Amino acid sequence: MSNDFYKTSILPFAGIIIKLCRAYTNSQEDFEDYYQEVCLQIWRSKDNFREESEWSTWVYRISLNVCLTLLKKKKNNGQHFVSDSLPAEETEGSYAFSDESLNLLYAAIRKLSEIDRAIIMLYLEEKSYKEIADIMGTNFNNIGVRVKRIKMRLKKILDGKIN
Amino acid sequence: MEKSIENIWKEGFLKSDALVAPKINNLYNQKSIHIIDKFKKMFRINLIAIVVFSVIFLIVSFFVGIPITGIIFFITLTVLVVINKRLLNDLEVIDKGVSSYEYLKTFNQWINEQVAINKKMSAFLYPIIFTSLIIGFWFKDAEGIFLGKRLVYEILIGFPDIYLVYGIPLIGIVIVLFILGLLAFFGGRIYEWDLNIVYGRVFKKLEELMDDIESLNN
Repeated sequence: MSNDFYKTSILPFAGIIIKLCRAYTNSQEDFEDYYQEVCLQIWRSKDNFREESEWSTWVYRISLNVCLTLLKKKKNNGQHFVSDSLPAEETEGSYAFSDESLNLLYAAIRKLSEIDRAIIMLYLEEKSYKEIADIMGTNFNNIGVRVKRIKMRLKKILDGKIN
Repeated sequence: MEKSIENIWKEGFLKSDALVAPKINNLYNQKSIHIIDKFKKMFRINLIAIVVFSVIFLIVSFFVGIPITGIIFFITLTVLVVINKRLLNDLEVIDKGVSSYEYLKTFNQWINEQVAINKKMSAFLYPIIFTSLIIGFWFKDAEGIFLGKRLVYEILIGFPDIYLVYGIPLIGIVIVLFILGLLAFFGGRIYEWDLNIVYGRVFKKLEELMDDIESLNN
């Protein structure tokens, strides 16, 4: 991957890639693997970009697909994330942000299904329902209801942790 | 006041440590090593499977009355395993410290050498296996008489004028020689076909990775 391509076409979107990769991983090592793989796949797929959507949408889509594929591969290989075998408290400490509320939110997001994780991440990134539906390749009528349900679920998880 | 998840999200990422991108490094090295390790593992399992199969077949062959087939199978496959194990040992000495492209190129050279050797061996391997089956069944006991001889007697009843060479119908010899010739001729291709079934995906990934690195270098 050329340095220029990384700087001009990936780095401006590094934020969302990082956020997504963090939602699908529980260790720094996994996170770095996912991030690198996403960047590599964006670079490899760049020639397939037809400008039918925004470049950012393309980046989101690839990032999500890569994360979901890697997650599936890991599951198929029998490698479970730390969170599958350890209590949440133990995993959070080893892979945390300095903002405690954000850590709790991420821990809650990781408890969601893979698709719900993707939807809420895009919602939190202030993507419109239409954009979310576009990225996810789904019907946009259902997105609003789904987001509402996910938020309620997150609130429940967070309340349980805080109380 | 309790913060909404939207606020937690926004405020959390305002802090500088939250969005530090990891460095893109060593990716190809990791990938190359991963692919080659995967191949090595598959290759080793394949060799073990051949050893297990040849031992089981040897034992079974005694029970079903075709020990000659079992013994020839066992010896042939043992030779095949020994040669391939030596080839695998050569692979172990490839230096993982070199650049991924060099590493993959060396591995590719090893694959080509390994394929060339096995293709040559296959020209003998498949005919030997076929011959062992023919001999094994020929000498199989069929109620006090060799199965082959019994078969010839039965053929002679139906075709009394058939031409025999050392007690074997000439037509049978011609057919066997024809099949042996085909197996010797297509042995290499059968091996390649077999190889692609087992390692096709790994080879494809290897090719893609090399293309990727080459396009990076250009």
